[in-house]
Amino acid sequence: MKQVMEGSHAVSEAVRLARVQVISAYPITPQTHIVESLSEFYAEGSMDARFLCVESEHSALAALIGASSCGVRTFTATSSHGLALMHELLHWTAAARLPIVMAEVNRALGPGWNIWTDQTDSLSQRDTGWIQLYCEDGQEVLDTIFQAFRLAEMVNLPAMVVMDAFYLSHTYEPVDVPDQKRVDRFLPPIEPRIELDVENPCALSQLSPPTMFMELRHNIQIAMEHVPRCFKLVEDEFAALFNRRYGQMEPVHCDDAEIIMVVTGTAASTCREVISDLRSGGEKVGLLKIKMFRPFPKELIRKFLAPAQKVAVVDRNFSFGTSGIFAQEIKASLCNLDAHPFVFSYIAGLGGRDVTVDLLKEIYWKTKENLTPTDESIWMGLREID
Amino acid sequence: MMRQFNIPDADYMSPGHLACAGCGAAIAMKFALKALGRQTVVIIPAGCWAIIAGTYPYITLKVPILHTAFETSGATASGVRAALDMKGDRDTTVMAWAGDGGTFDIGFQSLSGAVERNDDFIYVCYDNEAYMNTGVQRSSATPYGTRTTTTPGKGWKKTRKKNIVEILAAHRIPYAATASIAFPEDMVKKFQRAKEIKGGTRFIHIFATCPTGWRTPTETSVKIARLAVQTNMFPLYEVEDGLKYTINCKGDRPVAEYLKLQGRFKHLTDNDIKNIQETADKDWNILLGKTRG
Amino acid sequence: MPKQQKSFMEVPLFIPRSKVSTEINKTGSWRFVSPMFEEKTAPCSAACPAGEDIGRIEMLTAQGLFKRAWEAILMENPFPSVCGRICFHPCENFCNRKEFDESIALHSLERFLGDIAIAEGLNQPLKNLPANGKKIAIAGAGPAGLSAAFFLTRLGYSCTIFEEKSEPGGILRWGIPSYRLPDDILKSEIKRILDSGVEIRCNTPVTKSFMEKEIGYYDAFFIGSGHSISIKMDVYGEDAASDGLKFLYNIRKGEITSINCTAAVIGGGNTAIDVSRSLIRLGANVILMYRRRRQDMPAFANEVEMALKEGVQLMELVSPIGLEKDGKNLLLTLQKMKIADTLSGGRPQVVPDSTKTETLRVGKIFAAVGAGPDKLWQIPCEDKDDNKILRLSHCIISIEKYPKIFAGDLTNHTKSAVDAIASGKQAAMALDILFNEGRDSIKERLSSCKVGDGPALSMEIYMNGKRKSRNSRIVYLKDINTDYFMPALRIIPLSLSPELCIKSFSQVEQTLTTDSAMKEASRCFNCGLCNNCDNCRLFCPEMAVISEDNNRRINFDYCKGCGICVVECPRSAMALKEE
Repeated sequence: MKQVMEGSHAVSEAVRLARVQVISAYPITPQTHIVESLSEFYAEGSMDARFLCVESEHSALAALIGASSCGVRTFTATSSHGLALMHELLHWTAAARLPIVMAEVNRALGPGWNIWTDQTDSLSQRDTGWIQLYCEDGQEVLDTIFQAFRLAEMVNLPAMVVMDAFYLSHTYEPVDVPDQKRVDRFLPPIEPRIELDVENPCALSQLSPPTMFMELRHNIQIAMEHVPRCFKLVEDEFAALFNRRYGQMEPVHCDDAEIIMVVTGTAASTCREVISDLRSGGEKVGLLKIKMFRPFPKELIRKFLAPAQKVAVVDRNFSFGTSGIFAQEIKASLCNLDAHPFVFSYIAGLGGRDVTVDLLKEIYWKTKENLTPTDESIWMGLREID
Repeated sequence: MMRQFNIPDADYMSPGHLACAGCGAAIAMKFALKALGRQTVVIIPAGCWAIIAGTYPYITLKVPILHTAFETSGATASGVRAALDMKGDRDTTVMAWAGDGGTFDIGFQSLSGAVERNDDFIYVCYDNEAYMNTGVQRSSATPYGTRTTTTPGKGWKKTRKKNIVEILAAHRIPYAATASIAFPEDMVKKFQRAKEIKGGTRFIHIFATCPTGWRTPTETSVKIARLAVQTNMFPLYEVEDGLKYTINCKGDRPVAEYLKLQGRFKHLTDNDIKNIQETADKDWNILLGKTRG
Repeated sequence: MPKQQKSFMEVPLFIPRSKVSTEINKTGSWRFVSPMFEEKTAPCSAACPAGEDIGRIEMLTAQGLFKRAWEAILMENPFPSVCGRICFHPCENFCNRKEFDESIALHSLERFLGDIAIAEGLNQPLKNLPANGKKIAIAGAGPAGLSAAFFLTRLGYSCTIFEEKSEPGGILRWGIPSYRLPDDILKSEIKRILDSGVEIRCNTPVTKSFMEKEIGYYDAFFIGSGHSISIKMDVYGEDAASDGLKFLYNIRKGEITSINCTAAVIGGGNTAIDVSRSLIRLGANVILMYRRRRQDMPAFANEVEMALKEGVQLMELVSPIGLEKDGKNLLLTLQKMKIADTLSGGRPQVVPDSTKTETLRVGKIFAAVGAGPDKLWQIPCEDKDDNKILRLSHCIISIEKYPKIFAGDLTNHTKSAVDAIASGKQAAMALDILFNEGRDSIKERLSSCKVGDGPALSMEIYMNGKRKSRNSRIVYLKDINTDYFMPALRIIPLSLSPELCIKSFSQVEQTLTTDSAMKEASRCFNCGLCNNCDNCRLFCPEMAVISEDNNRRINFDYCKGCGICVVECPRSAMALKEE
């Protein structure tokens, strides 16, 4: 049923329908609406789950590690500093192969304190072994939560569903919320592969010597390599029931594009308009919206970007000392090809600064004008500071 | 049979574990599981027991173990309990088994949070009074007067041991108690009591001698744990709902008898020992006062 | 989701997950010292001349296993009810509990067990070795002779006792008064010995002719005839004095009823005390006169104390120099004595204190200054030492035509019933070794049966019983983990008050009740013995102490040698040895 709701509530509706059993969360702007609406569901009894009001994000994830190790479906949500505080345990969750799902609201890390959207927080955690799925709008958020549970439980890797602060979390949009029966068909109860059991006692996560450590780590990578295949299966089933699909990425007019703009999050919506505009002016431009960042979908990246002459990556994040992170990963995917486009790296929208139609067009023209890209990322719209 | 102590026979711990010879923490776990039985899940954060419990692929306990990060025992136990409840299992006892580091210091926040939420599990701190697993560095459970590798030589610890039971009593925790490996019946009784009190958090603080870190002969581990109680350095008592105090044993020996057996206190002068005696007497009187209140 | 699709999507999962028990890791290799269960010797058992396994006896008594406790006594001593009443119990002086709070009332417990066996009519319970055809003649049915018969019968010998008096018992029957040792008790314990297969001929003294002719019928001759001849005082008018030993004999025969006058008793040994306390009961006003001081008296200290409590007056440092008849009374002149400088060791020298004398008028005078053997026996004297004589701690063996063993008061340094029993045992063992292995093996073999450092010997060890494996090292209080014991007062059996007890020859001290006996026996530390307290198993951090039917063993696959078991053993029944 179509309802108008903010992105946060799309998350909480999906969590409720997914029959999550243990939730543990700590409030941080702009994730608070997720946590609050889940608390309301819990309090009014419309959700059969345990809700732990923990005293920090680190404890939130610790509690879920405990719960998930018992073989139940678990969920948390956080943002920015909360995610950073969880860092140690993000590594732990993935290495423990627990299918925890987290809603992560992209927000800048301070100082200065900044509550608005910025992707540096989630991308800083790219080494931890979590599946990362970036969403563009409320519907995608809702759908991706369901898909994340299926996917995580299939490969035994945790997954984070990422959305922009305020632009997505607090923006009201129409969202088609499916009924419980349909969701149950897509997402049956968890069949855990890891479960503490007094009838079959074992120790989990104990001391592991060098002689088997590489195998443990390699096994995580093997799981990551299964993700694209599994994701497709999940999307096929989802499409069959709900008639929607997103793909690991979405190419828009990339077939004949000379320049492809790579954008993620809500900015991708803005970019669709930009592409439309430019194309009507005769520009051979395309948009590649990336949804799945981890595992990094190298094959598809190569497939869609290799034919172009130039790629303009718009990063709403930065890795100090190098470049925008999407740009970095894309360059790494393309570098071994015989023929590949030049990759232009642009930084825009950090700390919630608006990414407008004009800004994106400016990026396009800049890309078109310059034969080759600079080594350094180009920071868009920087003001003079005394 | 003329048994000295009457406690359950069955053991849920196997030999072949990696504890040092004479380890008090090993004896503590042995007694704890005798009391709690098979239907127990143990959460072990980083610390001596993370190693004692066995490296891959071995396990020394006959109950499930979830190893966790150092500072997470309280939260992890909360999560395990929540999950078991959701699975309809109200019978399995959840026990967090942390050292003094993971309880008094880095794990304190997590413990406090869990107790404030009054989550249903037993939190056990096996206290060997320093970070033993990483090489005998001081913790806030290290008593005044101790030499450790981070309070060496003249820099021996000048601050007093944190009183964890008092802190949790202030949380109005349903049940908190101290125990010593030299008093097996008392310890088993407390664990059995803790097991029966469902619906809230229970805390047991165990005195666990460490011959390696305290520089004591391995054969005296139980004797020292007994002396600690007999000299009121580690009184045995229980607190219900944070307010009702019951003392289980009254000590009457001078602290010097306890201190002189241990290498970690070897440097103390008679004056230092006098100060320690005064503090011990004062603390004991405060505790006595609480039983009347 | 269809199962086929699920298996198609099976993603390999390899996580740190442990299921194999650490039992596979044999931590015993860490060890450089090993614990072992090693029972040691309790000081009481080493102090007991009969070498009774006292710690074990009390362990059984505390558990209510009275019959087994009694059998443990009988292994070493056939006279528990007797000794429980009249022994000077050196065991209690060496009891480790003495330093902790109070020594265990061992004599009361021995008496308790002996009395139960009598009440239940129990026969000698220990199995005798098969008869070996050898015959032993025994002179004297006192404690030495009866014990020798008891032990020799167990070793398979056939014994015949020759007793000059009408009933067996020696000093026990004819010397010690019945308020110390009632007739019926003594008779029961003697009967038990005789019923185990011993022939006795009362009213049959051994004569010179017997020793020349009939002795050849026997394979050995045991002489336990005791000191029956009183020593003379060697003073003027001595004949006016009555013989103390004869006096006691007549009381025991039932021939003396009352003596209402002042009676002087001269002497300081147990006989003098027995005479004094008997006289008090017969109505006399008693003055006991001794040439040295109270603390020098050879009589048992508790007996002296009882005598004084009952009203016997003690005159110290006096020696008789003359007795005279004075009508119906007697005049006794005494020389006052004084202590000269003490020589090194031994009793202090006394010398007359110038010409100080004192004369008393008394109704009767009893002499009890000592006794000696009948000249018939020709005991080899102190200095004679040839290879026909073998001197042991409690007997002397002379081997000429046939082995002759002198024992009991004839040879013992301490003249007591328990030493007589010890000499009977030692003689029995010595004879058995002589016959089976030869004279030269005697000392060595006896040495291997020592309890502690000796001289007490154990028949159980001699007969290769479990006690053989015990370490002879004695356990002292410092070896006991006193944290496991709470101070508790010694349980004192009911006694008649001094005023009451002198009205008759009834027993002064009563037997303990069952409850009191068990409670008092529970106070015993059981030094050096394992009483299955299970501490070792309980405290072992490695689960390396395994319990199998009431026994324990160390699992050396896992024992790391920490030694906690040894320290937590309350009674030093374990030891730590280097690998």
